[in-house]
Amino acid sequence: MPRYRNLLVRASINLKWKRNRNFDLGIGSKMKQRRVPRTAERASSVEESETGIVTVDTGKDSQPWSDILPIFAFATLVKLLLIPSYRSTDFEVHRNWLAITHSLPREKWYYEDRSEWTLDYPPFFAWFEWTLSQAAQLFYPAMLDLDNLEDQSWQTVLFQRATVILSEFVFLCGAERITRHARTRQQRVLLVGLIALSPGIVFVDHIHFQYNGFLYGIQLLSIAAMMEKRHILGGILFAVVLNFKHIYLYQAPAYFVYILRSYCFDGGFFSLKRFAAIASSTLAVFAISFGPFVKHIPQILSRLFPFKRGLCHAYWAPNFWAVYAFGDRIFIQVAKVAKVPVSQTASLTRGLIGNTAFSILPDIQPIHTMILTVLSQLPILAKLWVDATPATFLDSLILCGFGSYLFGWHVHEKAILLVLVPLSLTVERSPKYARAFYILTYTGVYSLFPLLFKPAETITKMILLMAFAVFGYHALKTLHSAR
Amino acid sequence: MRSPPPVSMGYGWIGAWHEFLFTTNGSSLALLSTYLLALFVRWTVSLNGYSGEGVPPLHGDFEAQRHWMEITTALPRREWYRYDLKYWGLDYPLLTAYHSWLMGRIGQMINPEWMALDTSRRMESEGLKMYMRLTALATEWVIYVPAVVIFANRWVGHGHWLKKNTLITLILLQPALIIIDHGHFQYNSAMLGFTLWAIVSLITGHHVLASVFFVFALNYKQMALFYALPVFAYLLGTCFRGPNGFQLFVKLGVTVVATFTLLFAAYSTDVSDILQVFARVFPVERGLYEDKVANVWCAISVLVKLRQRFEAQSLVYLSLSATLLAVLPSSIHVFRHPRPLTLLYALLNGSLGFFLFAFQVHEKSILLPLLPATLLILDAPFASAFFNTVAMYSLFPLLRRDVLVLPYVVLTVLWMAVSAFTWSRVAAPVKLFAMITYSTMLALHILEATVPPPANLPDIYVMANVLLSTGLFSLLLVYFNYRQWVTRSIASNPITNEKQKKR
Repeated sequence: MPRYRNLLVRASINLKWKRNRNFDLGIGSKMKQRRVPRTAERASSVEESETGIVTVDTGKDSQPWSDILPIFAFATLVKLLLIPSYRSTDFEVHRNWLAITHSLPREKWYYEDRSEWTLDYPPFFAWFEWTLSQAAQLFYPAMLDLDNLEDQSWQTVLFQRATVILSEFVFLCGAERITRHARTRQQRVLLVGLIALSPGIVFVDHIHFQYNGFLYGIQLLSIAAMMEKRHILGGILFAVVLNFKHIYLYQAPAYFVYILRSYCFDGGFFSLKRFAAIASSTLAVFAISFGPFVKHIPQILSRLFPFKRGLCHAYWAPNFWAVYAFGDRIFIQVAKVAKVPVSQTASLTRGLIGNTAFSILPDIQPIHTMILTVLSQLPILAKLWVDATPATFLDSLILCGFGSYLFGWHVHEKAILLVLVPLSLTVERSPKYARAFYILTYTGVYSLFPLLFKPAETITKMILLMAFAVFGYHALKTLHSAR
Repeated sequence: MRSPPPVSMGYGWIGAWHEFLFTTNGSSLALLSTYLLALFVRWTVSLNGYSGEGVPPLHGDFEAQRHWMEITTALPRREWYRYDLKYWGLDYPLLTAYHSWLMGRIGQMINPEWMALDTSRRMESEGLKMYMRLTALATEWVIYVPAVVIFANRWVGHGHWLKKNTLITLILLQPALIIIDHGHFQYNSAMLGFTLWAIVSLITGHHVLASVFFVFALNYKQMALFYALPVFAYLLGTCFRGPNGFQLFVKLGVTVVATFTLLFAAYSTDVSDILQVFARVFPVERGLYEDKVANVWCAISVLVKLRQRFEAQSLVYLSLSATLLAVLPSSIHVFRHPRPLTLLYALLNGSLGFFLFAFQVHEKSILLPLLPATLLILDAPFASAFFNTVAMYSLFPLLRRDVLVLPYVVLTVLWMAVSAFTWSRVAAPVKLFAMITYSTMLALHILEATVPPPANLPDIYVMANVLLSTGLFSLLLVYFNYRQWVTRSIASNPITNEKQKKR
């Protein structure tokens, strides 16, 4: 310790020097620091009393963006560096959607199938791609050519990667919005860092390639509105995010129960007026989204819910069905040893999209997974019905996402973000939650490793996971030691 | 510009981050964060293209380095400097050859095709690229990075935790070295690492060890000769001042000769072989400058076609005398005052003088003056940060050819962000000058990206780059020489302090 004392003394001298020149740099130095009288109360902390310096957090009144923008700048830098990384087929999927929305009239968007990567996201996402294509037209029109399949030119890569990075600003806005209640500036910066610097999003969006960041940003905004009991706004925002990407349907039960219980049942009585208000506002979003496609809704739905695809995605999500399939394999080996004849046609998740057939264990139909998913969500929804508080709402979001991840049909391993993002909002509650977040995020990010399978990404993955392991831990520890 | 106050905390982003770690009992994580960031930046830069990727028939430095692994592992030693010289004949000294041999041997264990004689030429594959990138990373982290950490510990001294970490972070984020070694592809960190080990040995008083390391640097890349005069002057000065000067002089001489002898004896005992190495390493016939480089001769040739007016021989004398004139003052100064701080300044001025006035300079040789300049970043903060940015700019024509524009932009922005704190301590006119410079560079970049060069002047942007960079480098040479002369009275370096106290 003594050698650090020197540093603090220097800090104090320098701060005076700095104050005189009236400039500031960076996060730390912007925190207002001042000398504190050596009262008995203050002297309880050794370092403070010895040096007379303490960091005073000024909370909400200060400009929050000056703390948060550096985080965004740093994250952007990391993401810019990742631009030449490996890109999955999702890169071509999104490029093809740019071409579809730009080149075809909207009636044909959901019918186009020149590329195998057909448009299978809801209309808002199609409009989002259409908006991007307007900019792409100015930048590099060749990427908008429907027949220019597998375009990997640097212009296309730069454009698509840059739009992911820029759109993620919404995510930061969501993180900023949802941490406004934080008591100190440091706590706030830590929370925003833990939410916005998750390696999970970096893996999926900035290496693998997808646009999850801004979607989770809208969801964060919606959660923030819900927790502030602005149900209509929250409901609308959730409907919006649903119309961007329907994977959020998994969490719809939590929204439904929470809105019904804490908004529609006003003082114990069901308020039809409120119910009508929330129903009409959310349905209006759907009307705006699907209205222009009203004749094509069956086609869109067949694209959105492809139950023809197998139980397990080509890249296995480490969920219940992976264990089930593994169990089947074990039974096959057992059967071989026991000399019981089994059908050898089982082609578990062979090929990209195909049906999964099991040899010994019973085959699974979509309805089975649905029942299991609903069953797994029931307990927390029941609790939410009894105790419709913001905290329970958040818990049920997490658990609804987790239940669907574990038992859903054709789940991508990327869906773990559905659990990790809301979970990151709970870390401030208690060390227990922080621990759960730490372990689950570490495991979840690790479970994304097979997604980025190229050798060159090994080092990137390890650096990012290690950075989370060390500095995420440190942030969580700091968050809970300060109180 | 006056020297910074001895007590300084305003280290910008790096300072803020370390302050956060310190106040939250996370001081032990500080260096880890630096290493992780440095590794991440290097690795992501190395995901980009390398020199000559997909450009037949000769490709570039990447193919050259791979080719040397091929010939050193496949051929008897005598043939290393003789085999098919037209296709990337080995033209670096022996340690490079030994290093290539080692890397080639390891590579052969993974995939023998990468280093198969003749058949592996122009080979490009994902695995090969990754292996080569890893060798560059490993070389740097084995030789260069430990030297940086030890240097910072020695230079800053105990108790200056923040200052030390800031210095390490800044040196490891030096953009030009990252983009040349891990983007363009070379092993400069090996030569610079040996030099840094020599510097560390010198400032801690291990002169004999220092001479061994410096001979290693010379034998890795002959460009280390840029440093030779200041190192020699420092050692000679020490011999004259110390108590057992003559004894030390003899020891040093014997060490240098012995190290050279050992390195060459391991190669061959035949004089013709050794002469062949020298003939390859020093190709005098190549010309005054190669390609367009931010060097005085290249800049002058925009106005006066030197090569047409004068004979090659007289140009050699001209360049030699100009170089000596540029280098001698700082070397004489370090001879008279052999102290750590003057040593670093002399190395900087010597190598920058060589870069600007010597014969046959590569644009990448700017890395040599950048090493001591970056080591001095806490002693001459603004000039050092500015020099690094300008050097990055001077490398742009090379980087654009290698399709490294994106990492160029990101690394430069990163460097400007982490070194932004240096702006706070300079006078307003200097700030204005720097801002005008940066705006000019930005404007030139935008022009180059949007307006194609006129048909009769296809190289106009490159020449503008050369002229601007040469002008700024010359200014910096004058400024750093001035700094070296006034440093004598400033005791901003703890090591100097200790020594002065002892006296």
